Amino acid sequence: MTILSFVQRRMDHWIALRNPETSGQIKLQNRRLYILPTRFGYIYALMQIVLLLAAINYQNSMTYVLTFLLTSLGIISLWQTHKNLLGLSIELKTPSPVYQGEELIFEFVAHNLNQSNRYAVGLQYTNAPPVYSSLSGEQTTTIKLPLPTIKRGLYKPAGIIIFTRYPTGLFHAWGWLKYDVPVLIYPKPIYDSPLKDLLINQQSGNKNINTADGDDFAGLRGHKKGESLRHISWKAYAQGRGMLTKTFQGYASPSLWIDWFQMTATSHEGKLSQMIALVIQAHQEGRKYGVKLPGIDLPQSSGPAHKADCLQQISVFNQSDLNSTFLINGIEE
Amino acid sequence: MNHNLPINQIAAETANQNAVISVSISFILAMLPHFLHLPLWVSGLVLFTLIWRIAQTYDVVKAFPKWLLIIMVIIGGISVFAQFWTVVGRDPGLALLTVMTAFKFLETRTHRDILILIFLCYFLLTTHFLFGQSIAIALYMIAILIVITSTLITINQRDDSIPVLTRFKVASKLLGLSIPLMIILFILVPRIPGPLWGLSGEQRGGITGLSESMTPGSISNLITNNEVAFRVQFEGEIPPQEKLYWRGPVMAKFDGRSWSRTESGITLRRELKILPNPTRYTVTLEPHGKPWLFGLDIPALIPQSAILTDEYQLLSKKPVNDLQRYSMSSQLNYQLAPDENLEYLMISSEYPEQRNPQTLALGKQWARELTDGVDIANKALQMFRNQEYIYTLQPPLLGQHSSDDFLFQTRRGFCEHYASSFTLLMRAAGIPARVVTGYQGGELNEVGNYLIVRQSDAHAWAEIWLEGKGWIRVDPTAAVSPDRIENGLDQALSDDLSSFKFSARSPLLRSLLFKWDSLKYNWNDLILNYDHRKQARFLRDLDLGIQSWGDMVIALVIALASITSGYWLFSWYRERPLSPPEYEKIMNQLLKKLKRAGFTRKPSEHVYEFLQRMQTEKQYSDSHLEQIFNAYSRIKYANGYQKQNILDRFRKMVSEWVPVKLPK
Repeated sequence: MTILSFVQRRMDHWIALRNPETSGQIKLQNRRLYILPTRFGYIYALMQIVLLLAAINYQNSMTYVLTFLLTSLGIISLWQTHKNLLGLSIELKTPSPVYQGEELIFEFVAHNLNQSNRYAVGLQYTNAPPVYSSLSGEQTTTIKLPLPTIKRGLYKPAGIIIFTRYPTGLFHAWGWLKYDVPVLIYPKPIYDSPLKDLLINQQSGNKNINTADGDDFAGLRGHKKGESLRHISWKAYAQGRGMLTKTFQGYASPSLWIDWFQMTATSHEGKLSQMIALVIQAHQEGRKYGVKLPGIDLPQSSGPAHKADCLQQISVFNQSDLNSTFLINGIEE
Repeated sequence: MNHNLPINQIAAETANQNAVISVSISFILAMLPHFLHLPLWVSGLVLFTLIWRIAQTYDVVKAFPKWLLIIMVIIGGISVFAQFWTVVGRDPGLALLTVMTAFKFLETRTHRDILILIFLCYFLLTTHFLFGQSIAIALYMIAILIVITSTLITINQRDDSIPVLTRFKVASKLLGLSIPLMIILFILVPRIPGPLWGLSGEQRGGITGLSESMTPGSISNLITNNEVAFRVQFEGEIPPQEKLYWRGPVMAKFDGRSWSRTESGITLRRELKILPNPTRYTVTLEPHGKPWLFGLDIPALIPQSAILTDEYQLLSKKPVNDLQRYSMSSQLNYQLAPDENLEYLMISSEYPEQRNPQTLALGKQWARELTDGVDIANKALQMFRNQEYIYTLQPPLLGQHSSDDFLFQTRRGFCEHYASSFTLLMRAAGIPARVVTGYQGGELNEVGNYLIVRQSDAHAWAEIWLEGKGWIRVDPTAAVSPDRIENGLDQALSDDLSSFKFSARSPLLRSLLFKWDSLKYNWNDLILNYDHRKQARFLRDLDLGIQSWGDMVIALVIALASITSGYWLFSWYRERPLSPPEYEKIMNQLLKKLKRAGFTRKPSEHVYEFLQRMQTEKQYSDSHLEQIFNAYSRIKYANGYQKQNILDRFRKMVSEWVPVKLPK
């Protein structure tokens, strides 16, 4: 291990300690903010050395004055650039899941509690193009940062930087935004109607009568553990009749199992994509469906919660880097 | 963790039209005063590139191809060299910098280019101070500094909706905040005595002053120039006008028409017989590009950086290209070199035999008639006084025998005519004589109590050498026009020449002019002359115990830290978040209660969103809570609801609220 990589690791450790993951707001306080001169800042400094030499050589007082004025401008810039981020509260809304290949939109809510405006506040995900916004004083501004997605799975966003160079561009102030917010990317659905028909015909099961799902109210029955609380009749409960579940008469359509081993695609990812498409279709058609993945069985059910559950399980299936940081453009953290 | 900051990407962004125009304006303004002394083709090139580049942003013309630019840069460099035969030094350096900046303009495309141009503008701005450091230039520089800095802000603001004026305001604010820091740096940064490398006695053009030689007309050219030559602060009484002869170049060589300095004059400094009661004073000399310094006749104690020649001329070791300040003393009653060496006396008696026969004949005739040198000199002065000689700024042109023409035909002349002819007459009469140029008189600034000596005070007089007496000053102009010496030029001239003297103006204007000149004097004294010596003296007078470089650095750090932390505190206080209005405080109490009950409002969530989420996620419905939220929205958004009784009711509702029990 070289000294450099040792230093690098210590630095990373130090930075990680100072920038814990947060689920709510990140307030940009001194400990979370960093500032360094930009390349132009260094050129600016070099220019001042040259000017200072000229001032000394020509014993020219006004050259001294101008040089020192520019130096002071640099010092003031350092403070102003830092101030442009200091005290800003940034929150990341949990992004709605997207299908792989679609654009994922990170929606940040920036609260500028101070009375002063902030300009050219940039948000950037690693090397993607940054998004700039002006934040008026005492205002809350929503900033959208779109990102292309290339890999399915569940991630935590990392490597998002909030930065600014305002007002002079001599300094680059930044903070790392690390949120404990789940980012879910579904595999890209691949629709295959013959496969669906095949599955339905194979498995044409019993006709369901009374379930918690359906359209028309059919009556009350005893509440079973695990059933959704949404369908408990609170009226009946209030009358002291105990926990009763409202049942509805559903228009029964054949239920099905979406089974990994019955997928026709050859690759794993292809199979997952087919399963995603089937879940979407089954949900649209109001069927009861279950998902079978190697080692995971999701019992037959229906409804948006079930759909979300199924999609998530398929998305994270065999994800080696589960809960790791977010991946984009093939750049791994 | 990613450490790669997105610097490269930002720099490579294409600059927009605003940025290009903004930087063009900065460039032209930073260049403007230079157009006066740059070669014409360089100024033309600057204008051409600017117009071309701006036209390019409007898609009127196309960008130059890279290969053509490279060729143009090479041609530009060669042209500068061809103009000056060098590229080092102030003028060629400036021309080269300008040409290269102009070409950089043509290839400007990205943010990076714009930023480099801005830095070049800052650089160009500084070069003006090599040509002059007056208050006017300094004010202009500050104004342009605001323009350039606002361009820098434009590029970094990334919001085109912000009006130009706001950017100027921000730039002014930044610079305004910088000024106290700048003053601290200016006072406390240890000054190093320069120069660091040789300036090779570089002559800087365009500076007026007395020249190496004197021909008829050379001084009268200066007379129309009201620029200040130097200012003098006396330690005691200011001597009377007729004693104020500021000695400059002494000329003993005569070729029949013009006078010039002898090489032999520039030798060692002489021993001076110091008499009591010298006149002490401090001169602040404006740059004039020549090595001479000026002191009253006759310099006694001279400044360290100067040498005194055999002819009692004060010389600086290098050309006076920057403001120079020196203290010295003079002996107004003196005896000058009664033991002058023979060789020099020979030189001081030479004249070309073929020129000016009439003058020579007159001189020789006087020598035959009179024996005493004083009488001969008086004879000449009497001639000037009694015959029809006129003191004028516009003398007629003179022929080959300039002295003959003047003495016997035109009889109209300026001080150099009188001094020149008088000296020649003396030489012809066998009396060693020489011409002394310099300044005579000066105007008292009543406000600052110092003397202003202008170029228009330039003068020429004669010195004759008499056995046992040494060199004696004779001013033939005084014989023709005593007013010139006693009251100054304006009174003496009958010509239609508007006066430069402030005292000739109305009282109000006069006091304003004197105040302005006083300001300039203080500017010179306090700012332009602030060097390592002055710094040491200033810090000693400050009496804060700052003595060494180490002390200065510590003081510097402390001063900078206190000013910046002062700024920080002030801005922290001024921009702090306002305390929330009362209804928000009440609302916060409610939110705390809700949190205890297990409902947490997300920071950006609207109250109704929150209510809905409570209902959908936790099946919680509460009509009381809904009422409270309604009241909150009304108070917050509708007019006229923020009255105390309404707020009190709102507070009561909140304090009475308890969560509805959820069925288990």
